[in-house]
Amino acid sequence: MEQKHLLVAEHIDKRFGITHAVNDVSLTIDAGEIRGLIGENGSGKSTFCQMLCGIYTIGGGTFTLDGQELHIRNQVEANRAGISIIVQEMGTLSGLTVAENIYLGHEEPFMHMGIKDTRAMNRSAQKLLDEYGFGRIRAGQMIDQYNFEDRKLVEIVKATYMKPKILVIDETTTALSQNGRLELYKIMDAVRADGRSVIFISHDLGEVLSRTDTVSVLRDGEYIDTVRTKDVSEDDLKRLMVGREIGNAYYRTDYGEPISSEVVLSVQDVSVPGEIEGITFDLHRGEILGFGGLSECGMHEVGKAIFGASWDRTGKVSLADGTEINDIPTAIKHSVAYTSKDRDNESIIVNESIRNNIVLPSLEDLALQGLLYGGKLNRFADKHAKDMQIKMQSVNQFVSDLSGGNKQKVVLARWIGKGSDILVLDSPTRGIDVKVKQAIYALMDEMRKNGKSMIMISEEIPELLGMSDRIFVMKDGKISGEFMRSPQLSEEDLIAKMV
Amino acid sequence: MEKQRKQEQQPSRVRSFLTGDTFKALLPLIGFVVIILVMNIMTEGRILQPKKLRLLLSQIYYPTIVATGVFFIMTLGSIDFTEGSTLGVASIVVSALSFTSIPLAILGGILTGAAIGAINGFFHVKFKLQSFIVTICTMYLFRGVCAYFTTETAVPASKAIRAMDQDWLKITITLAVLLIAWFLFRFTRIGNDVKAVGSGETAARFSGVRTDRVKFLAFVAAGALTGLAAFVNVVKVGSITATAGNQLETQILITLVLGGLPITGGAKVRFSNVVVGTLMYAVLNSGLSILGYEPQVQQLIKGIVFLVFVALTIDRKALKVIK
Repeated sequence: MEQKHLLVAEHIDKRFGITHAVNDVSLTIDAGEIRGLIGENGSGKSTFCQMLCGIYTIGGGTFTLDGQELHIRNQVEANRAGISIIVQEMGTLSGLTVAENIYLGHEEPFMHMGIKDTRAMNRSAQKLLDEYGFGRIRAGQMIDQYNFEDRKLVEIVKATYMKPKILVIDETTTALSQNGRLELYKIMDAVRADGRSVIFISHDLGEVLSRTDTVSVLRDGEYIDTVRTKDVSEDDLKRLMVGREIGNAYYRTDYGEPISSEVVLSVQDVSVPGEIEGITFDLHRGEILGFGGLSECGMHEVGKAIFGASWDRTGKVSLADGTEINDIPTAIKHSVAYTSKDRDNESIIVNESIRNNIVLPSLEDLALQGLLYGGKLNRFADKHAKDMQIKMQSVNQFVSDLSGGNKQKVVLARWIGKGSDILVLDSPTRGIDVKVKQAIYALMDEMRKNGKSMIMISEEIPELLGMSDRIFVMKDGKISGEFMRSPQLSEEDLIAKMV
Repeated sequence: MEKQRKQEQQPSRVRSFLTGDTFKALLPLIGFVVIILVMNIMTEGRILQPKKLRLLLSQIYYPTIVATGVFFIMTLGSIDFTEGSTLGVASIVVSALSFTSIPLAILGGILTGAAIGAINGFFHVKFKLQSFIVTICTMYLFRGVCAYFTTETAVPASKAIRAMDQDWLKITITLAVLLIAWFLFRFTRIGNDVKAVGSGETAARFSGVRTDRVKFLAFVAAGALTGLAAFVNVVKVGSITATAGNQLETQILITLVLGGLPITGGAKVRFSNVVVGTLMYAVLNSGLSILGYEPQVQQLIKGIVFLVFVALTIDRKALKVIK
């Protein structure tokens, strides 16, 4: 029997200015199928789905759902047509209750002559939450009382309760813990069992392989191929995404190199109320020092504290020459760099050009008798942008146009331009595709060999094991374990100290 | 199919031009040419007569000086509503001191302005209050101070200071302010720092910009320049009444926005915004008076032009509350 095509996309196209984000993509999705959609950052997978869901207008081509051509102008219309999406970023609105979030745009059943029946809405929302097994979330409470993960669960309810024909899940699992992921997988399976379909976007290829029936690959906005999941391996998918073989040289391969005894940065009894307590350690020359732990363990605050960015830090952070670091300008001046987990807000000025982002920390070095000349700044930015192989038209392009991986390259370019010797890298590969990840690891290894020291704070255990000379594990704001680099060290060893 | 798709794209291209960056960058110049042409046609060329031009120029000295200071504040993405009342208070100080010594009067004006700027900056930075809230409060406060000293009678200035009402002096001061500010904005860290704060304050802080200091100093500098403008104002008017500098703040706001300064500040700010804006405002203003419109009608027309410009120049990608 021939499979029924649920969704047919024909010649879908989208441009943003001169960027061709989605280039003539055609694909079909069958009823009762979980379809993985993968591709590097900027490959157009999110843009494609956001057109399907009415978030972006369709640049060209048609979507046909169940034989009906779609003419969708916004998300509410998409929901009515039977398409819903769980987005990558925060998709709930603060200042509203859980119930109001779930029924946003679909309040009519609870409206009586223009007045909202709050109690009926809460009752109905609570019933939904209970059915999903999220009964501990109360429908009448403000959404702001719940943490990121619970809000994601509310979003899942919101996106699925009306039984959409197509459910789009855009990079949602990175925000969820193991339990949350399992809940989501259950819902995906239920959608499939019901003869409806899921489009599942994820960077985690292991997850894609274990959870999907078929996988479509996009590259640079173009459709590459659709394969049956059980016929392929992770390496096959990587090859399709990147368009060439990704070697095994992903992480460092050396073991047993001694750490230099030369201390470049010394952290003594550093505390930040409510975040971290009594952190003490030394960073050595040419060392990559990993910090791991659960998301809330305080390790992200350690990075800020070292960089002088914490508001009320106590304790002492000092360099080899005795310089104490208490504020950001001092840190930068003395060769300390920091890349934040919150890249768009803290690492980079999104509404600025690549050029100005790269030169900003180095302005003092670039000035001649206090004066700045445009040509010199341009040459400086251009050199370091090109060294990092940032995909751009010119350094005058705004950072807001770049994909996540390229933004991170801008961040790294500015600190390499500054010539920083101590780099605090918080989640350096967060939300970044394989190719750029590989480039960042290679860069870290090279910097290490050149005597630069790095602190790498990461939520990804394989990355910590693969790149660090030494690993600190944190729990509840304190260091709970220390491990040396070794091929025998396993994920379980670290996890045991995290929880 | 192909044809249909192309047709669909046609109107969006017009729209994307209207909202695009090239158009926004050119808008002040286009607007300037359009306003001059329209005013020239409507006044049948009277606006470009030498006598009218001189009058037109005489109106823009002190607003240009004030706008130069506020330019830095608006580049930060902040806003300042105190220029009018600052000008009033500083003018009173200048007038009172003008009987003792002219240099002292100038210095007094600048210090008064700087002090008011420091108060604004202090509350904005230390208490993390939005600048428009702070400056609306202080606007009322200093309007009150101004009224207190001028209720009985106007505050007169000395004859000596009134004798200085000469074009060359005012032109020199205005040009000097413009040149120095341009130089600082273009060739020193100051310009980069204020733009960085305007485009993304947190990221600027993490890039080593001393954001609090930059913001505080911008308010002090804007106050000081308004104080200097008070001197130019006193030279011209000779005595200070309660209405001195009335509605100057809105005039400056309109001026800078007409000049193409995005109200969100940040990366797309150009120094030319100040010059183009002051000229445009002056042409619009004197054109409307030559045409003999009532002041109320003039205000109405300016309001409409202002709205249209804000809508066309605002950077929606950077949209956020004014700091």
